[in-house]
Amino acid sequence: MTTAPLLAARGVSKSFFGNPVLRDVSIALQPGRVHALLGENGAGKSTLINLLSGALRPDGGAIEVEGRAVSRMTPALARQAGIAVVQQELSLTASLSIAENIGLGAYPRRLGLIDYTALAARARAACELVGLHEPLSTPVGHLSLGRRQMVEIAKALYRKPRVLILDEPTSSLSATETKILTDLLERLRGEGIAILYISHRLNEVMALCQHVTVLKDGICTADRSLAGTDAAGLVRLMVGRDPGDLFPQWQTSKSPADAISVRNFSAGLMRDVDLDVRTGEVLGIGGLVGQGQEDLLLGLYGAIPARTASASVNGVPGLPGGVPKANALGLAYVPADRKREGLHLIHPIITNMMLPAFARLPALKLRSRRAERETARGLAAQLGIKGDLARAAQALSGGNQQKVALAKWMPHDPLVLLLNDPTRGVDVETKREIYLMLRAFAAAGKAVVLLSSDTPELVHLCDRVAVVREGRIVATLERGALSEETIVSAAMGAEDRKVAA
Amino acid sequence: MTAWNESVGGKRALAILRSRPFLTVVIVAAVWIGASFASRGFGAYGHLRYLVELGAVIGLVAAGQTFVVIAGGIDLSVAAIVTVSAISLPLLSWPADPTGLASILAVLALTTVIGAINGLGVALLRVHPMIMTLAMATFLQGLLIIIAGGSAVTAENPLVHWLGNARPAGIPAGIVLWVIVSAIVLTVMHATPFGARIFAMGANPLAASLSGVPVASTTLAVYGISGFTSGLAGVLVLGMNGQGYVGIGDPYLLASIAAVVLGGTSILGGLGTYAGTIPGAVLLVTITALITVVNASPGWRSILFGSLILGLLLLSGREQARR
Repeated sequence: MTTAPLLAARGVSKSFFGNPVLRDVSIALQPGRVHALLGENGAGKSTLINLLSGALRPDGGAIEVEGRAVSRMTPALARQAGIAVVQQELSLTASLSIAENIGLGAYPRRLGLIDYTALAARARAACELVGLHEPLSTPVGHLSLGRRQMVEIAKALYRKPRVLILDEPTSSLSATETKILTDLLERLRGEGIAILYISHRLNEVMALCQHVTVLKDGICTADRSLAGTDAAGLVRLMVGRDPGDLFPQWQTSKSPADAISVRNFSAGLMRDVDLDVRTGEVLGIGGLVGQGQEDLLLGLYGAIPARTASASVNGVPGLPGGVPKANALGLAYVPADRKREGLHLIHPIITNMMLPAFARLPALKLRSRRAERETARGLAAQLGIKGDLARAAQALSGGNQQKVALAKWMPHDPLVLLLNDPTRGVDVETKREIYLMLRAFAAAGKAVVLLSSDTPELVHLCDRVAVVREGRIVATLERGALSEETIVSAAMGAEDRKVAA
Repeated sequence: MTAWNESVGGKRALAILRSRPFLTVVIVAAVWIGASFASRGFGAYGHLRYLVELGAVIGLVAAGQTFVVIAGGIDLSVAAIVTVSAISLPLLSWPADPTGLASILAVLALTTVIGAINGLGVALLRVHPMIMTLAMATFLQGLLIIIAGGSAVTAENPLVHWLGNARPAGIPAGIVLWVIVSAIVLTVMHATPFGARIFAMGANPLAASLSGVPVASTTLAVYGISGFTSGLAGVLVLGMNGQGYVGIGDPYLLASIAAVVLGGTSILGGLGTYAGTIPGAVLLVTITALITVVNASPGWRSILFGSLILGLLLLSGREQARR
């Protein structure tokens, strides 16, 4: 294509507090092309997006709109130029309705007041594009994470963009929603829109994109057509070495002993579920997003009310019925939304790591700062968390935050790890480290319950997978029967089969 | 790692110099020095000691308030609890209690229970702290009017009298009490798991509860502490005043919150220290004294007081935006 790119960065550089984040990076977004931007967490992808959308100003280099250099790119200018960004961190207001969120900042007006009829019409059109069928007056706070992501995309489409930038749009989407989104992007591409697509899911990138830019440590390591590349080649470009196997060698360490056993368990959306978690296994929980999987974990953990006909947890009859009790029984929970549920962002990393200890120590026992520092340093070394532990947790990248959320349980030697989508929005290298850790954990005779929206993860990592649909476990797939197809078909209810546990 | 180790002392010194509590101390010192030039006698040892003694009452009320605010709540019933303490103490006395210690303990138990009821409402009934404590304040005020009526009560409790008037080694007993309470509060806040739980609850209650922090019982304890320290302040105020009356605690509601915020504790919870509240309390009484020196009418005094607090908050840096 020889036309001028709709949006481009020419040799841009950016430093934060003297640390170079981007060095001499160029990228050109052509109309009618889906351009992939790859890189590990902390490689500088978000910074590049912020430069393109005017949220940040480059230290050097230039931003060009339709071939003309813009001396002072601002968010307002970017909006005028038709640049829309779907952020990874959702920017929606929970208490406003879907329609209000979609139109926010660009409400149609009549006589100086918001024209709700026009807003509804335009918002509905945007929602239909992304397959959102919930009533437009639903507050966004009532929607699941995946649906909120769709609202975020509809919000970008509402502005009729010419350049669409999507930062990890599929990380919380179900398979169906991902399909709707990829079809939509194909269509928008046909209409001549330039799309910048960021994702950690390489198969999506391979299927959807035509061109790729790879960032590593703030330097552009590849800017080429995707034709003739394979996933392993991309990973090599991102991590700067051979990818090896993302998933560790699977080896069973399952024993017949039950760590958790519940009958007729109900909590939240889950209704009358029977579940056994054996020691030494990784039990996967699969299914479409928002079918009650999270309530299953939270109910077992005692964080939400749960009922059961009979239960035993690590040999103790009955459900824990409260988080402190669950912790005492050897359960630990790592939430999906690490910013809202997992971490205290304004507190130092070390305090975050020590919090479970603070929760179970006698309330008025004097703390030993020296012992805390030693424990935290040991954890940081074990999990490869770099940097000053006295910094606030919000300074860490997503992958490192997830490591902290995991690390804080390690000193307590939990018997059962309940993990809620632990690799969401985490770079390839960290994913691999987490996988290795989980298998090692199971091999040590502990149990892991892994709720995941990433189906390959379930296939390659788990001894068994329980698939949840509409609050029930519709299938328990044994290792031999595990494949992406069996999990997805059970999740969609394509066939009603039940493999005896 | 080693570099971090070596510079830890220097870093800490720098952090203290830049911290809000230190800034508040600097402001207090500046005001004292400025005022003693402007007004003869202001900087006299006796006068400054008197200011700190007055600050002790605010400091005690604000001790509990600091706990509550760091835990993410607010206690609007502290003034009413101070009054309850000052009025019920003379009523709760027995002939078989010559020192008066038993009746002080009974009053402190009563105010702690009142605080714990606040905590119960916030933690278990999930009433917003503002509503819960404001309702409690209104309830207590009604009760006080019924019990005490409009008349003042006089304390004939030797220990209370001693607290309000004695000067062991030249230092008012109230200041000694404040120093002891401050030491305990700072230790509990910064050197125990209980303190760490409070900061965690204030910064992110959901993450705290998922990490195993017993949120309900900690909330109960935090409001209980606030009731206790307000009760203690009421005992001290009764001792200094000699008499208790309905409304004796009224000045301490705004003062306690202002002292907490002036000391750099985040009103949103999760960040702060009592080490800032202490100079914050002294700063407040200093401002009051300055206004008295100006010799304005009561209406103007209130207007000046309010404006100065606002001005100081702007001066010492507003809260940074955060999610």
